[in-house]
Amino acid sequence: MLWVILLVPVVCAAPSGLVSWRRATGWAGVASASIVLVAGIVLAVHVVHGPAAVGYGGVLRADALSSFMVIVIGVIALLATLQGVRYLEAEIAAGRCTPRHASLYAVLIQGFLASMLLAVLAANLGVMWVAIEATTIVTTFLVGHRNTRGSLEASWKYIVICSVGIALAFLGTVLVYLASLHASGHGSGALNWTSLVAQSHYLSPGVVRLAFALIVLGFGTKVGLAPMHSWLPDAHSQAPAPVSALMSGVLLTVAFYAILRFKVIADGALGPQFARTLLVIVSLLSLVVAASLLLGQRDYKRMLAYHSVEHMGLIALGAAAGSTLAIAAVLLHILGHGIAKGVLFLASGEILLVEGTSEIKDVRSLLNRRPVLGGIFAFGLVALLGFPPFSLFVSELNMLRAEFRVGLGWAAGLSLVCMAVIFGAVMSHGREMLFGPKGSDAPALTPALVAVPLIGGLVACAFIGVSVWPLGSLLHAAAHVVAL
Amino acid sequence: MNHSAYTSVLGLSCGVIVLCAVVVLWRRSLRAIVRALAVQGMALALVALTLGLHGHDDGLVVVAVLVLVAKGAVVPTLITRIVRHDVASRETQPLVNVPASLVAAGVLIFLAFAASRSITALASSASGRLIPYGMAAMLIGFFALATRRKAVSQIVGLLLVDNGIALVAFLATAGVPLIVELGASLDVLLIVVVLQVLATQMRLRLGSVDLDQLAELHD
Amino acid sequence: MSTTWRALGEIVVAAVQVIVTGVGGLVLVGLMRKVRARVEGRVGAPILQPLRDVRKLMRKERLRPQFATWIFPLAPVVFVATVSVAAVMAPLVTSRPALGSGADLFVIVYLLLLGSTILALAGLDAGTAFGGMGSSRAVTIGALAEPALLVTILALSISAHSSNFPSIIRATFVDPGVIISPARLFALAALLIVIVAESGRLPVDNPVTHLELTMIHEAMILEYTGPDLALVTLGEAMRLALLLGVFVNLILPWGIASSMSVPALALGVVVLSAKVVAVAVVLGFVEVFLAKVRLFRLPELLAGAFVLALLGVVSGVVAK
Repeated sequence: MLWVILLVPVVCAAPSGLVSWRRATGWAGVASASIVLVAGIVLAVHVVHGPAAVGYGGVLRADALSSFMVIVIGVIALLATLQGVRYLEAEIAAGRCTPRHASLYAVLIQGFLASMLLAVLAANLGVMWVAIEATTIVTTFLVGHRNTRGSLEASWKYIVICSVGIALAFLGTVLVYLASLHASGHGSGALNWTSLVAQSHYLSPGVVRLAFALIVLGFGTKVGLAPMHSWLPDAHSQAPAPVSALMSGVLLTVAFYAILRFKVIADGALGPQFARTLLVIVSLLSLVVAASLLLGQRDYKRMLAYHSVEHMGLIALGAAAGSTLAIAAVLLHILGHGIAKGVLFLASGEILLVEGTSEIKDVRSLLNRRPVLGGIFAFGLVALLGFPPFSLFVSELNMLRAEFRVGLGWAAGLSLVCMAVIFGAVMSHGREMLFGPKGSDAPALTPALVAVPLIGGLVACAFIGVSVWPLGSLLHAAAHVVAL
Repeated sequence: MNHSAYTSVLGLSCGVIVLCAVVVLWRRSLRAIVRALAVQGMALALVALTLGLHGHDDGLVVVAVLVLVAKGAVVPTLITRIVRHDVASRETQPLVNVPASLVAAGVLIFLAFAASRSITALASSASGRLIPYGMAAMLIGFFALATRRKAVSQIVGLLLVDNGIALVAFLATAGVPLIVELGASLDVLLIVVVLQVLATQMRLRLGSVDLDQLAELHD
Repeated sequence: MSTTWRALGEIVVAAVQVIVTGVGGLVLVGLMRKVRARVEGRVGAPILQPLRDVRKLMRKERLRPQFATWIFPLAPVVFVATVSVAAVMAPLVTSRPALGSGADLFVIVYLLLLGSTILALAGLDAGTAFGGMGSSRAVTIGALAEPALLVTILALSISAHSSNFPSIIRATFVDPGVIISPARLFALAALLIVIVAESGRLPVDNPVTHLELTMIHEAMILEYTGPDLALVTLGEAMRLALLLGVFVNLILPWGIASSMSVPALALGVVVLSAKVVAVAVVLGFVEVFLAKVRLFRLPELLAGAFVLALLGVVSGVVAK
């Protein structure tokens, strides 16, 4: 019955596809995200103590890791689709978007969700590749949705760079297939992840080494790891806010999920050292690049995008450590970062809507003029910078602990230095935006449709940070799938 | 199929594929480059056809026909359409001059052969020994992508990378599972369609647009 | 006794090859001019005109520039001598030419290069502006073509396991399929470009121009008159015939004499002439449609030849 999950977004896209946009069709999108979230939770409960669920003739498979990712997708999709209703209404009201165009957006969002779900639920590495390829194509149109000069340039750059990355990842997949063919001698099941992991010790090391390097380079482009990150700031800043939230919060991590799946195979064939070295290199590069470029940012959406690069670097470093603690912390970080980044992007979308500018220097004393919105933004930044009680504090701390234990202390130290620099940069930019002289206007109110989900998201992030209770065993089980 | 005919046709097609990649670096006029890409697509289809006929694999023959139509005909037409209104894109503008690019192509060919040694050790059949050609075409495509200023030249580089990888995929395994092979062969088509749509959007919204004037987003 | 006969036979073969190259070369030049003229709609000079030109030049007065040294009169002689030695060694009429064991491709190439170098020095020696300019341009082309040429030789010798030219031709008889192998095809494509560059034909150099902007080879030999000019013209024609003969025998070696009997040699001469005439007609025809490549674009063309030859080497190694 796994394929039902995939069908949900498709069904909910149907009303948007058939009729021009109305509020009701927007709510259909919200419904799809909530159903996905509920399904993810049900799935997680099912697989955490039992065997993995297999569906659709073995093409789909849900183990603890997949169901965790489904939950992540569901949560952030819920936030994004809720905001999507508001975003589309505002765009249509301002005349920047026709209802026809808005319904295209709604259909594409559901397509985006469906392909991400396929990517995390695929049992076959080839199908996973096809799904991630599909996300690239769908999101290109979403990034260019606003049809401005900047967004068209951003979507062009996005598709060219990510297509190259996807092509490299395809070559890596082909090489893994080749190695598996020669190890097992028959073609069927040669790209099935479970059978690949089982025979990983027999795979030719030279070929797997080349394949994994190509996978990190290829899927790493979609994750936004340096030096393949140049599309990220443009795409995430030019896209509509709900799309940025989905891309920054989930898509990057879905691509990283793909790298994790391949990492298990590489560790089996080559031992942990190769994958560890490779991931450490890209993560440190990403951290350094993000730190150096965050200092001079003038656009707050670009600032948030570079911040994603930093977090992806941290996740890669944690994955490099590879122990169960490290992977569990990485997964928790994926969820926490997804929620916090999603909230921030959605809040910044609202700021763009009401202030009309995306430059940091033009937005002043947000806390005074729009207290609720400013408060959400402030707490979002606090969450992202790793303050308690938010879950990023817990996940970052545990990642550092795991890295020290495994012998990557020097890398952890370097990452701390970069994080400190980023901390300073983001704080100063945030301070510029939030504080300022008290104006004469009365504080404006933010609509409940906007505020409530965002505050809810932040509260959830804090809740997970305080007590990992609802997710503890799931994280543990999911970490076991990937850990050394 | 006669074995020596099989090896010579295969060898010749792979050589033509790398030759077309070199021609893309060599010629300056976009028309010649697009023609080279079309020839490359046809050679790729020939490789798939030969492999399919030799291995009695009908799926591969179908894929060969699809590749011929998609990469040999449709993609070059779409590219010509993208630049039809854009006279400035008709000549390439390389960052690295042509003789240096050609020498770099030579170096890359050697690099590809060196890097593929572990793969050819594994797949030692007649088709497996030709895998380095695919890697060479891919590396030359990368070089073209990185050293060309015009946006259309970037698309051409992307297509070269894709063709090289497709060649490796065909040779390494005589076809990965059909659905993946189809996905890979058609993704290029989809990407070029997307790019054409984007270009049309740009022309509609922003007037006749030289793709290289779009340089607003930077730090 | 048999050794004397052998030696005599080798001398005869050598003489035949030199005469065929010399006379044939001049006829070839005339033929290419005629083909070009016909395609352009003119009647054109008779095919044997270059022979008459050489004879006419031999009777004219020999002039020397004021500041020329001993290099100036020596150069045409050395030029013709080197081309003749190369003609003796190359497998044109027979696959067992005189001096065959030393007929390494590298030796042939460097003999031709020696001739070109001496001529370039003579151009400088003349002390005029045109001479120096022509020499520098010609040497540039030579320097660019040389890597391509060397790698081409490597590509050709891989399949035959030797760079001895007659062995390469004989190896083709053993395995005819090697002619359509990718290695050989790439090498031949590169060789064609290099031959065009070395013999100074379009699109590298226009052999009939005397404009300062476009002269390369003509500028070098501008100061030669009388018998010197006759020797230079003869040498150029021989070089063209030699290069085309080499090219043709690499593609289609059949018809070449494998023994020293008179009928075989006669057949060899006839077949070689037919093949070279065919190639020359095609070349002449194609030249009409080619424009001369601009001087600073020449490195592109020759770098392309280099990469083609490299592809040939790589294909040859892979095919083993």
